[in-house]
Amino acid sequence: MKAGFYSKLAIDGIRKNRRMYLPYLLTCVLMVAMFYILAYLSNAPFMEYMPGSASLQSVMNLGSFVIAAFAVIFLFYTNSFLLRRRKKEFGLFNILGMDKHSISRILFWETLIIAGLSLIGGLGFGIALSKLAELGLTNIIGGDVSYEFTVPGLVVRNTSIIFAILFFLIYLNAVRHVRFSNPVELIRSENVGEKPPKANWFPGILGVLILGAAYYLAVSIENPVDALVWFFVAVILVIVGTYLIFIAGSVLLCRILQKNRRYYYKKNHFISVSSMAYRMKNNGAGLASICILLTMVLVMISSTTCLYFGKEDSLHSRYPRDISARIDFEHIEQAKEDNISLVRDTIDKTVRENNVNMSNVWDYRESQVSGMLRDGNVEVNADDTLSVNYDELVTVHFIPLEDYNRMIGKNTILSEGEALAFSVKISNLPEYRTVGGVKLHVVERLASLPIDATSTAEMIPNLYLVVPDLDKTLASLSELVDSNGNRMLITSWYYGFDTDIEVAGQIDMRNDIREDLGQMNEGDQGGFTSYSCESIAAERDDFYGTYGGLFFLGIMLSIVFLVAAVLIIYYKQISEGYEDQSRFDIMQKVGMTKQDIRKSINSQMLTVFYLPIIFAVIHLGFAFPMIRKLLLLFGLNNLILLLTTTGISIVIIAFFYAVVYRMTSNAYYSIVSGARE
Amino acid sequence: MSLLEVKNLKKVYKTRFGGNEVEALKNVNFSVEEGEYVAIMGESGSGKTTLLNILASLDKPTSGTVLLDGNDFSKIKESAVAEFRRDHLGFVFQDFNLLDTFTLEDNIYLPLVLAGKSYSEMNARLNPIVEQLGISGLLKKYPYEVSGGQKQRAAVARALITEPRIILADEPTGALDSKATDELLRLFRKINQQGQTILLVTHSIKAASHASRVLFIRDGEVFHQIYRGENTSEQLYQKISDTLTLLAQGGDRR
Repeated sequence: MKAGFYSKLAIDGIRKNRRMYLPYLLTCVLMVAMFYILAYLSNAPFMEYMPGSASLQSVMNLGSFVIAAFAVIFLFYTNSFLLRRRKKEFGLFNILGMDKHSISRILFWETLIIAGLSLIGGLGFGIALSKLAELGLTNIIGGDVSYEFTVPGLVVRNTSIIFAILFFLIYLNAVRHVRFSNPVELIRSENVGEKPPKANWFPGILGVLILGAAYYLAVSIENPVDALVWFFVAVILVIVGTYLIFIAGSVLLCRILQKNRRYYYKKNHFISVSSMAYRMKNNGAGLASICILLTMVLVMISSTTCLYFGKEDSLHSRYPRDISARIDFEHIEQAKEDNISLVRDTIDKTVRENNVNMSNVWDYRESQVSGMLRDGNVEVNADDTLSVNYDELVTVHFIPLEDYNRMIGKNTILSEGEALAFSVKISNLPEYRTVGGVKLHVVERLASLPIDATSTAEMIPNLYLVVPDLDKTLASLSELVDSNGNRMLITSWYYGFDTDIEVAGQIDMRNDIREDLGQMNEGDQGGFTSYSCESIAAERDDFYGTYGGLFFLGIMLSIVFLVAAVLIIYYKQISEGYEDQSRFDIMQKVGMTKQDIRKSINSQMLTVFYLPIIFAVIHLGFAFPMIRKLLLLFGLNNLILLLTTTGISIVIIAFFYAVVYRMTSNAYYSIVSGARE
Repeated sequence: MSLLEVKNLKKVYKTRFGGNEVEALKNVNFSVEEGEYVAIMGESGSGKTTLLNILASLDKPTSGTVLLDGNDFSKIKESAVAEFRRDHLGFVFQDFNLLDTFTLEDNIYLPLVLAGKSYSEMNARLNPIVEQLGISGLLKKYPYEVSGGQKQRAAVARALITEPRIILADEPTGALDSKATDELLRLFRKINQQGQTILLVTHSIKAASHASRVLFIRDGEVFHQIYRGENTSEQLYQKISDTLTLLAQGGDRR
């Protein structure tokens, strides 16, 4: 009986405030559903058979963590809106003699109802949509479609537990709010006559400075992996700067507009500017949140789309040939033609047996050493490997002149001590330099090198040096050993080629070659210590798995963030609507027409509406070099594609944003104008 | 021709399901001449708020006409009502109805801004009014920074600045202490002496005793009226008081 009473009050409260509760409930449902789907994808049995399943599962797992973390922040935030509206009602209950313990019981029922509905709804939708998501994912990645339908109990249980904890925390927070305020405060909480904020120069300027610093960092970071810490610093600075600018800067802007009498005392501007100035402090935070969410969505969508559509590019830059084999020698002196031709003949034989024609053959030796780049010279010390300074680290590749000439079909002549140089990352290449004590005279800096496109994708700068005689030039280097007793100079032979057969055949042939190399290695033939053989066809699955997974995750997270942004806009408009109701009522009494209200809302929209999206696009612009560098890590160097995906993302998001703002401003209008008549 | 003419005004409210009908105004007739200061008195539920809402064009009568300068209210198009109100009527409310987002100055400008006037014109009109009302030092303050009496004077300034044909005041002294009440009533008289027509709805005898004529409403009809004539405010006060006693006793028209 008693319990029935409280639950009835709770249901009543939710029903009466459905304008506020419904979007909140929908968000909860969405969060639960999204979490379930991602957790399902990272655990579902079908994933075992997906190409690249391991990386895919970890991507989805990461995604579900992001959703959970975001749900905590966001549901707390939206719940505070609800609480503000409910406090008045609770204050009345309190004055009428209901003690706070009983109010907590109403809150408990309310939370229970919301939690129950969102878990049932969310799991229902999640389960219903999980198959759809699975089909979408398999489609994106290109795996086999299975027609099984499974509901893993573990995932359902985990989802329920995590969200139950979250709702419990929300409940505790609500109780805390009610406990620590007296009834009069409760009743007044919604319309505390707050002062219009003073224009404050300091935080505004601080915001501009912080944002400037963040932009500078974002643009000046050379290598996002070395400077991962700085990268996060930049992200945090952008967030802080955005909040400061929106909160303080917008008050400042309004004050400046108010000073301009010509502008201010116009019918359309008068009301919108003053009410913006009045609530900019709260408003600014909301706008800044919208801006940050939009920025996140834009960055995610543009980069993952680019990654997804550029996955072939990326694959080819990592694996430039259909089949590529590599053998490593213990000592540079073993990398001689007699050893190499033995291996080459074996591979060629296997290729012939498979009835395959080779084309675009790569066939070259290379010696590789890591060192520290100091003043244009490379120092190779065994001690340096103990404490690596990533800023100075460089990998030097020596390629014999005869192999170089053979591959590009030229007849370049170098005398002893001379070299050709090529590097993407290192800009300062002095003519004379030493590498580990070896003096070299760089006679020419090459514009391109026909081999090894991976260099552009690597984090550590690469320096390619074409030298006349490999073992003579590197004689001193070849004896260096590091602290573990391993030789620092690694000499390898590369053999790569394209084929004229289809995927399955390529993978089979790769396996054959691997087997050949393994047998030779065991039989001590060819003099090499280790070997590898990769085929692009075999790697493609893994690539598609990772990139397709990232793309899929990017879309899922974007949906969640967009919904969050929409909800903030909605709550902003609704709560402002209730605040402004009495104001517009007064203004109608002194002669404001409905048309004027419309116009004033539109003017406010024109001023405020564009700010978050404009700032988001500016943020994106400054993040662009960083995104490009990150994509380079994935071997993606397609500027046109990135510009296209970025442009399209901006257009789509801006359009979507405009539609949402229109719709919510209608809700606002109906609240403020509905006050009379 | 009278400035304001009210003829056979009737207002019937229907309850939500159309069952019971409540007659708020039965048959109200009166007129206000230019430069008059008229107070309308009546108990709660007598229909005086309904009457004021109709006069303010915030509500429409069931039947009957209201003419301002011979213009029929019911002939004004729905879309033009707000504009009409802004240009011809001035309002003073019990709870001031100042906007807390504006300074007092901007609050006073509001109707003019809505009418699309230029700043220089607004500023020119503002100065004499605020001088007279004694709030020229408070213009940059926000409503929450000043006292109730000061707020009400700002509201009066807002009503006066459009140079309305008539000022409608709804219990303007209701939220003021006695000192502020006296000041405001003195101001109303002064404004009236300068030729401004005022219509005041109140149940404060003191407020009504400053008027040049007092109308009494009971059960939706004008029940009685008293002219000030040569009486002082004190004498008028006594007369009003007597009439109200009579009304309360349910007496018939004299």
